[in-house]
Amino acid sequence: MGQEAIIKKTGNGQNGFWGLVKSHIFDIFSVLGLILCVVIFTITSNGNLWNAYNISILIETVCGYMILSLGALFVYSMGFMDVSVGVQLGVYSILMIFILNSTGSMLLAFVTVLVLALLCGAFNGAVAVWLGLPSIVTSLFLMFVFGGIQYILIERTGSNMISVENYDISKFADSKIMILAMVAVGIVVFYAFNFTKLGKYTKSIGANEKTTAQCGVNTTLWKVIAYMMFGVCVAIAAVFLLARTGSAGKGTGSTYAMDIMLCIILGGMPLSGGMSSKVRCAVIGTLTYVLLSNGLTLSGVDIQTIHIIKAVIFLAIVLLTCRDKGKILPR
Amino acid sequence: MKQSAIVQIRKMNKNFGPTVALKDVDLDFYPGEIRGLVGENGSGKSTVTSIMAGMQKPTSGSMFYNGAEWKPESMAYAQRKGISMILQEANTISGCTVAENIFAGDIASFSKFGIVNTKAMNKAAQQRLDAFGLTRIKAADVIDKYNFEDRKLIEVVRCVVEETRVFVVDETTTALSVDGRKILYDIIHRLAEQGKSVVFISHDMDEILEQCTSLTVLRDGSIIGTIEKEELKGAATDSEKEKLIEKIRFMMVGREIGNAYYRSDYDVSHSDEVALEFDNVSVGPVKNFSLKLHKGEILGFGGLSDCGMRLIGRAGFGLEKLSGGKVVRNGKVINNSITAIKSGIGYISKNRDTEALILSADIAENISLPSYSRLSKFTFINPFTKAKMVNKEVDNYKIKCKTPRQAVNTLSGGNKQKVSFAKWTAKDSDVLIMDCPTRGVDIGVKQAMYGIIADMKKSGKAIILISEELSELIGMADKIIVMKDYAISSEFMRSPDLKETDIIGTMI
Repeated sequence: MGQEAIIKKTGNGQNGFWGLVKSHIFDIFSVLGLILCVVIFTITSNGNLWNAYNISILIETVCGYMILSLGALFVYSMGFMDVSVGVQLGVYSILMIFILNSTGSMLLAFVTVLVLALLCGAFNGAVAVWLGLPSIVTSLFLMFVFGGIQYILIERTGSNMISVENYDISKFADSKIMILAMVAVGIVVFYAFNFTKLGKYTKSIGANEKTTAQCGVNTTLWKVIAYMMFGVCVAIAAVFLLARTGSAGKGTGSTYAMDIMLCIILGGMPLSGGMSSKVRCAVIGTLTYVLLSNGLTLSGVDIQTIHIIKAVIFLAIVLLTCRDKGKILPR
Repeated sequence: MKQSAIVQIRKMNKNFGPTVALKDVDLDFYPGEIRGLVGENGSGKSTVTSIMAGMQKPTSGSMFYNGAEWKPESMAYAQRKGISMILQEANTISGCTVAENIFAGDIASFSKFGIVNTKAMNKAAQQRLDAFGLTRIKAADVIDKYNFEDRKLIEVVRCVVEETRVFVVDETTTALSVDGRKILYDIIHRLAEQGKSVVFISHDMDEILEQCTSLTVLRDGSIIGTIEKEELKGAATDSEKEKLIEKIRFMMVGREIGNAYYRSDYDVSHSDEVALEFDNVSVGPVKNFSLKLHKGEILGFGGLSDCGMRLIGRAGFGLEKLSGGKVVRNGKVINNSITAIKSGIGYISKNRDTEALILSADIAENISLPSYSRLSKFTFINPFTKAKMVNKEVDNYKIKCKTPRQAVNTLSGGNKQKVSFAKWTAKDSDVLIMDCPTRGVDIGVKQAMYGIIADMKKSGKAIILISEELSELIGMADKIIVMKDYAISSEFMRSPDLKETDIIGTMI
């Protein structure tokens, strides 16, 4: 039969070297993209990319993005997205500053933020299911709510920016601690994504939710768990983001939601999620994204042009990865 | 005296990369005939007809239509010129009305200055529907109001127009119930009487013998032979028919299929232990339905497609919300698919590609999905234990694949279905609810499926087999439950004397 023969031809059951290349085309592109970034920016930055100072900057930047992207993997593999992460990070930073300044307890600050992040995760996962809404709608709702809270909190302080005063937050900005945190989160996420039910189910929900439910999987429960897993990562990332600057204001965090999306697709993961979701997508994507931003800046490209370049890359990748008409964007 | 052919196909070849789909095919279609095309999956029957209908281009070879060279550039072009084809998969536009679907691509003829005269279009569409005896379908309705079967019939109405000279039906009947099929049969017979040519592709041998005037068998992209009208109509008695079917099957497969197609035994014994009980179940239009399924029993469900049997199957797996009564297994109430699977029930949906399988996932993932809870030890799913379980199933079902890491969408229909069987045997389910498990599967694989089902019975599994093929129910079930208008209308015990006609009477 014709259709089957066509599927056989294009599917990844194909023989030989080219078959292998074809079935790993996005992986290959993403790794090539990363290598290309390294090579080009090493040249255009006159080697400044690799001086000690810039390396510590790179680690600081990568840390936050990496932890966030690794957590976001669980949500994106279901074909969902969370646009509220950015403002959540802003509010968490401000709250942590409040708590640190009044109590000096990092533990209390972190636990408060963690609980909030978990609640937001549960909200995103469960309310969307109960109301029969796409998850992006509940996360939009949270985005507006948190955006408002962030604004009010800052307005009340009477200034545009508040800083950590009674606590030495900079110890979390140490390169070794940051690397340690990234590796730890990476290991946990790698394990959860590849060797536990959570990863198996989020991928199969992304690929076919109906079938997954008919295999006895409580999809609502696992959606909530996946969002909460992301929540944990958001809380951890909030600590390291705050450690970098020691302060927060009205705009803090706002761009992160979209940046994470860019990281993940740069890593070769389709926005529709499903079976081709992999941990390496988050890792490679984050490295590429950070190198891209940092490298362009070092090469003297102005900030507006960087935004345009990011937009073009985003568009190109979405067009490349989302050719399946039925699954264009996350829900 | 035979008229000259309306379509002639000469030395046609078609390659998909290294795969040879057609090899030097010569084929003629004549006016007034209903030509059956049979062959296993991948034998080339859809390829040759889809080339004729403009869906794809041949690698080499030529076609002649009404004596002139025929090179259709698209399906729409072919349809305008009189060759239409109706496919297995749904092909209607949801969100639009029935009329808009029927006149899709031709809406301009109802519009003036860019404004569509909906009233006129609906009227014309209704006339077309009425002419096909589909008065119950209203042209102004949104198409989503109608089920898959009706949408299929609406497609037929769209395809068959005045200009139609050749009409290709590609495995459409698998989607239709008995009454839907009847409408389609009437249409093709009417077309044949009007001197048009019908090409009929189906896996259902009884249907082919009953409906077609001649029959061509394909195997591995080549024409194996043609059975002419005289021989087809000559087989009048059941035993002659059996012999003819045996001959056709031999031509299709190239080897003896043997007698062991269905179950050969008539042993209806089973344990007294109840495996699944429907206790006064009301679901949708089905009211107060009670039934007991026993260990080691195969219960067959037959009826028209909208008779309620499919609902009962879904209710047994907890997929439907009951308005009354309960489904019970081992004292536990089954109210969703999670409790169903926990208590050892498996369900094979009729919608294989959208519900039973994750097409983009590999074989291993599909087979393991229901079993992850069991495989997971302190959150850890051991990949080696998983691979062992999967390999056992792949061997057991002889799933044709290079590796279990191969995506399911690269498998043929029959092998896909084997995967959806395998995931429940891997889970070690004791009760299996199968909704049309052999739909669109060729006879070699069908035979294997029947063997599997018979073995399951022997090993004490309880099976509900919902089917639209009566011969399958007669061949496999211990007891056949016939449903009509959402209630049981009759029951038949397994017997060598049971005939399809006995059952049909209680269905309609």
